[in-house]
Amino acid sequence: MVFGGTKTPAMALTNGLANASIPTWEPGNLMSRWLKTIFVTILFATLSGCGGSKVMLHDPTIPEPLIDQMPITVVARFPEEFDNFVHEEQVIGKEKWTIDLGQANKLLFTQLFGSMFSDFSVIASDVDARSLPIDALIEPSIDAFEFSVPNQSQTDEFAVWIRYRIKIFDNEGVQIANWPIAAYGKSQTTTFGGDNALRQAAVLAMRDAAALIIMQMDKETGISELSAARARQEEAPPTNLPAEENLQSTAAEEPPDDSL
Amino acid sequence: MIPFNLRRLGQLAGIALLGSTLGACVTSRMENVRQEATGIAEGEGVVIMAKSYHLGNETEANFISCIGDSIGRGSTGLRVIPNREFVDALFPWFEPRTAPAETKGLPALMARPGVAETIREKGVRYIIWLDGDTDKVAGGGSMSCAAGPGGGGCFGFAWWQKDANYDATVWDLTGLEDAGTVSADVSGTSFLPAIVIPIPLIARTQAKACKGLADQLKLFIVSDESV
Repeated sequence: MVFGGTKTPAMALTNGLANASIPTWEPGNLMSRWLKTIFVTILFATLSGCGGSKVMLHDPTIPEPLIDQMPITVVARFPEEFDNFVHEEQVIGKEKWTIDLGQANKLLFTQLFGSMFSDFSVIASDVDARSLPIDALIEPSIDAFEFSVPNQSQTDEFAVWIRYRIKIFDNEGVQIANWPIAAYGKSQTTTFGGDNALRQAAVLAMRDAAALIIMQMDKETGISELSAARARQEEAPPTNLPAEENLQSTAAEEPPDDSL
Repeated sequence: MIPFNLRRLGQLAGIALLGSTLGACVTSRMENVRQEATGIAEGEGVVIMAKSYHLGNETEANFISCIGDSIGRGSTGLRVIPNREFVDALFPWFEPRTAPAETKGLPALMARPGVAETIREKGVRYIIWLDGDTDKVAGGGSMSCAAGPGGGGCFGFAWWQKDANYDATVWDLTGLEDAGTVSADVSGTSFLPAIVIPIPLIARTQAKACKGLADQLKLFIVSDESV
């Protein structure tokens, strides 16, 4: 049996498509095509289930913050993972998602601290910060990175959680703060599509971290006091630092000793 | 075997389209509560923001852009400052974590360096905070579809109901006060009967809420009625 209606001028536009997709189909041919189509569809569905998605985020930027800079001299030392951070998440029974942040964290913190402090620079990992004329050394790191995809949350949203840790040392190398911060971002699939939604959620989580650091850093760590402390230190006559003082300054990281 | 041609396909598509236009039912209620007199001058505009997801709000991004587009459209359209442009220009003070939740936080925010100047430069008179979402609240029926070498088809009936509940709170940045709230409560039931071909009778609940809320917001802002 031949399928296809009488051709009319109004159908001229669709004739090409109609001729291509509805040729003179015999029942045998038709069945064969249906089976092929179903087979190819199942094959693609299976393959896409086994595959994964990789999202790259290499050049995130935050807008210039509307803040007053803190008048202190700060350097930052970034860990190796900030050079190439990759996180994978295997959704059980589903596809694998990979997010490649590259140097995104390094760029974020460089831009952020550059906006927050009047004098800021980045030093290499082998530089001894105690030999530099600075008020503080900041060492940020990533404690944890997690994300959820719509299959897991049963919503149409991607969500990203990043837990950073910021350690701050004074100009003598004594740790004065160890501050964990948790940032969160989410984005809907319908707006940006799968990969873009995850990328957008990661950018929002990084912006969230930046906003939190701007708002809370001085309150949580007292970093702005370090400039005054250094000025007092430079005015005072040089003395040998008692051993007890050194021990006391790092005591915050150790469990309290109740033996006294 | 069933005769099949493009004309028949066109007829069926036409019926489906007609059905989707006529069939579904939507009920809506718009309300506004005015607290302060409003009005807008030339050069002044509004910015549409979603309440923070840190506070559990789940307003859809497409609803926010729909409200922005609808408020800015037409001869009575208001000037709408793009949300992203506003948030970036005032970084980090309107991020989900840091945005003020109440108008009593506005004086402190405006006192921060550069904030009042940037808002003035952008010509933002009102911030409209959207809260709410569209949810499927009920559904039922059943439908089965089958396909074989001779063709395919569906039989059955399915229905579902969606509720769209949104509040838009208007903050006047001139007086640093809450000017009032406009609410949209829209309920729509969609049907999907199928006798060989499924005929969707879709209730466009969210679109109706968007249009209704945007129209009410325009009236609310330009109206010079006092409280």
